[in-house]
Amino acid sequence: MFKNNNFIQYSIINTLSFLKESVFADEYALKKGFLQSLDPRLKTITFLLFLIQILFIKDIFILLGLYVICLLLAYLSKINLWFFLERTWIFIPLFSLFIAVPAIFSIFTPGKALMSLNILGLKLIITQQGLFGASLFVMRVTTSVSFAVLLSITTKHFELLKVLQIFKIPQIFVMTVGMCYRYIYLFIEIVENTYLAIKSRVGTKIHYKSGQRIIAWNIAFLWQRSYQLNENVYKAMLSRGYLGKPVVLDDFKIKTKDKMWLSLVAIISGLVFYFNNR
Amino acid sequence: MDNLIFELKDVYFSYLGKYPALNGIDIKVKQGEKIAVIGANGSGKSTLLHILDALIFPDKGNIKVFGKELKEENFNNEDFSQNFRKKVGLIFQNPDIQLFCPTVKEDIIFGPLQLGMEKEEIQKRLKDITHLLDIENFLDRSPHHLSIGEKRKVAMASTLIINPDVLILDEPTAGLDPLTARHIVDLLIHLNSEGKTIITSTHDLHIIEEISDTVYVFSQDKKIIKSGPSIEILKDDQLLRDHNLVHIHSHHHKGKIHIHPHIHLDHHTD
Repeated sequence: MFKNNNFIQYSIINTLSFLKESVFADEYALKKGFLQSLDPRLKTITFLLFLIQILFIKDIFILLGLYVICLLLAYLSKINLWFFLERTWIFIPLFSLFIAVPAIFSIFTPGKALMSLNILGLKLIITQQGLFGASLFVMRVTTSVSFAVLLSITTKHFELLKVLQIFKIPQIFVMTVGMCYRYIYLFIEIVENTYLAIKSRVGTKIHYKSGQRIIAWNIAFLWQRSYQLNENVYKAMLSRGYLGKPVVLDDFKIKTKDKMWLSLVAIISGLVFYFNNR
Repeated sequence: MDNLIFELKDVYFSYLGKYPALNGIDIKVKQGEKIAVIGANGSGKSTLLHILDALIFPDKGNIKVFGKELKEENFNNEDFSQNFRKKVGLIFQNPDIQLFCPTVKEDIIFGPLQLGMEKEEIQKRLKDITHLLDIENFLDRSPHHLSIGEKRKVAMASTLIINPDVLILDEPTAGLDPLTARHIVDLLIHLNSEGKTIITSTHDLHIIEEISDTVYVFSQDKKIIKSGPSIEILKDDQLLRDHNLVHIHSHHHKGKIHIHPHIHLDHHTD
């Protein structure tokens, strides 16, 4: 399928490998680091507390302090710092930079002029208040994203799902999401294998119309497989006594380390509150 | 009553009411018996196992289980349903169907939790069963990280932890390497020696003698064409050949070319 075919091949392979690496690789969550050793419930609650505090912090230096704490926690959790920075800073331009950049100019944030720019005859003035506001916003997003990413990469996905129980999310919802997580991987493998099977039979050079037909046929095939799977999985659940009300085992345990972490978070939160409101 | 566990009389089943899957099946299974169901692909073996596990119900015919009639409406009664699920366990052919939870541990304990077992008892059984099947190290792993043999063991654990009296297995050794297949056969023999009734559907003729006392042969028209002691069935070359269960092949052995039906029995003793 000429260049278009390469495009499809490239898209399929890269999408699947991205999904496998980002969604299914528990590489860091399996390491024996500090955050990995904490009770997932406490970890999630304390991280949520950090995120809420970050929303209300008005001082950029307090945010900077929290960001340093986040990096320190990443280091103690045996996370490759370069990987961590790469992961978190990818999101920051997306979420904040485009929004923050206009805010530095006097058109949006009037105030004390710091410098002026002349772009295509248009005079733009950067204001002190604008720059401060934009920096605070970017720092807030950076710190929030870093904490969120740190939580997700140091916690196994199924543990994060189980944590939803404490927020009184209906069990059936948690179970369904868990099953989706389990079967998306299976379908990724089916898509990969089907693609290889097609490639082995028809090669890479086929007309785009045939290519479209093959892709359409594949989508239909996948739909049919998922429908069959759905029926059979339900039978497998019935066979082991499922009656429509899933029961799960709550096997989380709070250890001394968790209590110490909770105390530390309380102290940090107290200090953040004090410095933010003095 | 001869400790009858299952008694099927003239059972018919069809998918969507138009694709016949079972045509007048009569089977009796006694407590502690080892039963094998063999037949070509699409001969109705899996359908039969699903009927025995009360996942589907016949269009026609009568089924008695533990002396009582098995009807779909009985499963509206929670006590009846839970009691049946505690006594009868099915291991599916495709472990990816049976392992639907995010982790191996959650999959194994799914059954006991739904059946209302005490948490301490579940933990104890989990420890015992994972030790028996040598899968202790997989507990926190996701099923998609396991090999087919490991998945099959976990699927077995997820049913065995319930400790059912009757164990139904759909192609338990399909696609496994010889050593893992051997472990599974040994496990079935061990479970039977402890009094469990074992019903297995398989294509592996070389394990039939060990895992069954009685064999039922299914034909392409979804009927039982013959049943009897495993030795007797395995000796009937014509029957096995007629139902795609053996094929003629040739191979080198002790410097000679052998041509014989491929059933892995004692043809090398001469």
